[in-house]
Amino acid sequence: MSLTSSPFPRRGLLAGMGAAGAALGLAACGSGSDAAATPESDESHTEFVMTVWGGEADKAAYQARIDLAKEKFPDYTITLQLIPSENYEQKVQTMISSKTGPDIMQVAENVNVYASKKQLVPIDDYLSQGGLDLESTFGPVGANYAWDGATYGVPDRSGAMVLYYNKDLFDEAGVDYPSADWDWDAFLDAAKKLTDPAKGQFGFGGVGWWPQWFSLVAQNGGNVLDPETGAPGVNSPEAVEALQFAYDLYFTHKVAPTSVDYSNMGPDMGADGAFQQGLVAMNATGFWGVGGNAAIEGLNWDIAPFFHGAQQAVSAFGSALVIPTAAKNPQGSFEIIQFLTSAEGQAPIADKGQDVPANLELQESDTFLDPEWLEADVDLQAFPDSADMIFTPKFIPEWNEMQKAIEDAMASFWLGESDAQATADDLQGRLERVIKPSK
Amino acid sequence: MTTAVAPVAADAAGRESAPGRRRPRPRLAPHRRREALFFYLFISPWAIGFLVFLLGPMIFSFYLSFTDWDSFTAPVWVGLDNYITLLTDDPIFLKVMGNTAFYSLISVPLGMVVSLFIANLLNKKVRFRKLFRTLVYLPHLIPIVAVALIFQMVFAPEAGPLNQALALIGIEGPNWLMDSRWVKPALILMSLWQAGGGTILLLAGMNGIPKELYEAAEIDGASGFRQFWSVTFPQLTPVIFFNLIMGIIGSFQVFAQVFILTGGGPDNASQMAVPMLFDEAFRFYHMGYGSAIAWILFVVIMIFTAIAFATSGRWVFYESEVRS
Repeated sequence: MSLTSSPFPRRGLLAGMGAAGAALGLAACGSGSDAAATPESDESHTEFVMTVWGGEADKAAYQARIDLAKEKFPDYTITLQLIPSENYEQKVQTMISSKTGPDIMQVAENVNVYASKKQLVPIDDYLSQGGLDLESTFGPVGANYAWDGATYGVPDRSGAMVLYYNKDLFDEAGVDYPSADWDWDAFLDAAKKLTDPAKGQFGFGGVGWWPQWFSLVAQNGGNVLDPETGAPGVNSPEAVEALQFAYDLYFTHKVAPTSVDYSNMGPDMGADGAFQQGLVAMNATGFWGVGGNAAIEGLNWDIAPFFHGAQQAVSAFGSALVIPTAAKNPQGSFEIIQFLTSAEGQAPIADKGQDVPANLELQESDTFLDPEWLEADVDLQAFPDSADMIFTPKFIPEWNEMQKAIEDAMASFWLGESDAQATADDLQGRLERVIKPSK
Repeated sequence: MTTAVAPVAADAAGRESAPGRRRPRPRLAPHRRREALFFYLFISPWAIGFLVFLLGPMIFSFYLSFTDWDSFTAPVWVGLDNYITLLTDDPIFLKVMGNTAFYSLISVPLGMVVSLFIANLLNKKVRFRKLFRTLVYLPHLIPIVAVALIFQMVFAPEAGPLNQALALIGIEGPNWLMDSRWVKPALILMSLWQAGGGTILLLAGMNGIPKELYEAAEIDGASGFRQFWSVTFPQLTPVIFFNLIMGIIGSFQVFAQVFILTGGGPDNASQMAVPMLFDEAFRFYHMGYGSAIAWILFVVIMIFTAIAFATSGRWVFYESEVRS
C-alpha cells in the first residue's frame, strides 16, 4: 500500500531537515509544564493563531469560517495558518516545542500524541460552562477526542467511509444498487457478478487500507485496539475471521485488485483512481471521492452507506479542534472553537464542498445535502445515514507506530503470501511491542 | 616523550628544535592585518553557518542520543540505553543497517564501473558527442521525486517496460518493488540510471590526460584496451577515488528513493538507515533514539571512508607521483 499512500517525499525531506535545524532551538524549551487542570486565561490576549492542514480548497473553507467568527467576535483577531498535510505534524511539533504553538489547532488520529504529553488543554469545564454536549451535537464521534478521562477536542469534520458505485457497470451486470441493508454475503455476491477478468474489471476496490479492514473487524465483533485501553487484539477469532473474508476477496474470489494489479494499471494507481476509470465497480472511501468523481466526465455513479456484517460499523475520516497548553487565552480559544463547530460556523465546509461537517444538525440540512457546488445527482444522505454506524478505533499515542507495524506485518498478507491467522499473530506481536495500553 | 639532549642532525631536520619553546608571533604589517580582517569577514558566513547549523545540532544530537526525548516534555537521561537497545533488541535496526550496507556496497562500485564505461565511450570522437554527453547527464538533473514516479512505472510487474523487455527474452520478471528479494536490486538499478553525474567528472579527468602518453603507448604498440588500462585508468584514479568517497557517503544516506518508492517495504526489506531515523525522530517522536541511529550511521560511514582512504595509497596515482 505504500506505493499509493506515501506522501510526497520531497516535502517530507524538507520537513525533516527543517525540524532537525529547529531541534537546536528546542533544547532550551524541552521542559514542559505538568498542569493538567484548566489553566488561567489572559483575557487581554485577543490575537489567535489557528493551524490547519490541507490545500487551497481547505484554505478557502477555513478562511470563510474564520471570517464568520470575526463578525461574531469583533474584538478578536484570528489568523489562519494553513500547513501542507505532509509537514503538518512536524511543523506543529516544532511550534509547540519552541513555545510558539497555535491558540487553536486541528488534530485527527494523532490527538493523543499531544494529549498524553500534556500539550493540550482539557476542555470539560469549558464544555459544561458553554453548554455544549458533544454526544448530542456530533453523535458517536463526540467521544473520540478524549484521553485519560478528560476531553480535549471538539469534532469539526467527520464523514463516514461510504460505498461509491458505478451505476453503468451495475446496470450492465444486472445487479441491484448497493444499500445499507447489504451484508457480507450480498456484497460478495454483487462483487462477483461485477468482476470481469476479460475486461480487467474488478467488482470492488479492496480493503487494504486500515479504515477498510478495521471496519470489517469491527463488523465482525472484533477490535484491533481495545476501546478502553487501546491494547491490541488483532488475533482474536473475530478479527481473524474478518481478515479471512478480506483475504478471500482478493485471492479466492478475486473480486478486488491486489497491489500487483494496481501497479499494472498505472503509476500511483489506487482504488480511487481505478474507480474513476471504470476499472472497479465499487469503492469504499471518504467524502473526497464526491468531488473527485464529479470531475470525471461520463462517469455515472452514486454513493450508499457501507455494507454491514454481524454488526454495523464503519470507519470515518475526521478531525477536531483543540487548544494547546501554550495558548495564552484558552477561554477565548474555546469561544472561537464553539462557534466554529456550530452549524453556522461549519456551514462553509458544506457550502464549498470541502468535507462532511461534524455537526449533525448541519449534516441533515439542505446546506449539506443539496449543495450548489455539486451538479451531479448524488445521494449525500448516505453520510448522515452512516453517522450512527461510525466506530472509531482508540486514538492511541503510538498511532504512527501502529500504522508502520501494520504496513510491515501485512505486506505479505495483501500479496497472498501469508494466511490470516499467521499474519494476525505476527501483527499482534508487533503491536504489543509498540503500544503501551493505558489503564 | 623524552627529549634528546643533543639532537642528531638527521633526526632533527624536520622538527622544531625543542618542545615547549614557541617562536614569537611576528607582528603583522598593517596591510596584512587588513587582509586577515577581510579573511575573517568573508569566511564568517560559512564559519558561523557551520557552528550554528552543523556543529551545534551535532553536539546537541550527541547529547540527545543518551536521552529519551519526545520533543515536548523534558529529555530524560538514559545513558547508553538507546545504543544498547538498537544493537541488541531492536527488531529491525540490524536488518536496516544490513540493507543500507548492501545497497551501498553494490550500488557504489557498480555505478563507478558504469560511469567509467560511459565516460570512455563518450571520450571517443563519435558523431553527436556533445548531444550524447548531455543525454547521459540529463537523468542527474531530474528531481528525485519525478525519477521515483518514472521508476514506479518502469518496475510495474506486468505492464512495466522492464519486465516486458525481460519477457521478450523469455524471462519472467519479478514484482520488483513488492518482492522482498528484488526490492533492493530495484533501488540499485534506479541508482545506476543516475550514474551520469560521475561520468561528467571522469570525462573532465580524461581531457586532462596528456596526449603524449597515448602517443608513446601507441608507438610501443599498445592496443586500445591496453591504453585504457595502463594510461587512462591510472591517470583517472584520483577522480575515481573522489567518486568512491562521495558515493559511499551519499549511498549510506539514501533517503528519498526509499521514502517515495517503497516506504521501506515490504516489511522493511528496503528500509534504510536515514528513513528509519526520520521515522523514529519525526513520526514516532523518539528524538533520542533517532539521534542514536544517526551517530551509529556516522561511525559506520567513517569506518568505510577510512577503509577507502587507507587502501587508496595502493591504487590512486597522482600525476606528480613517481612509482616504480
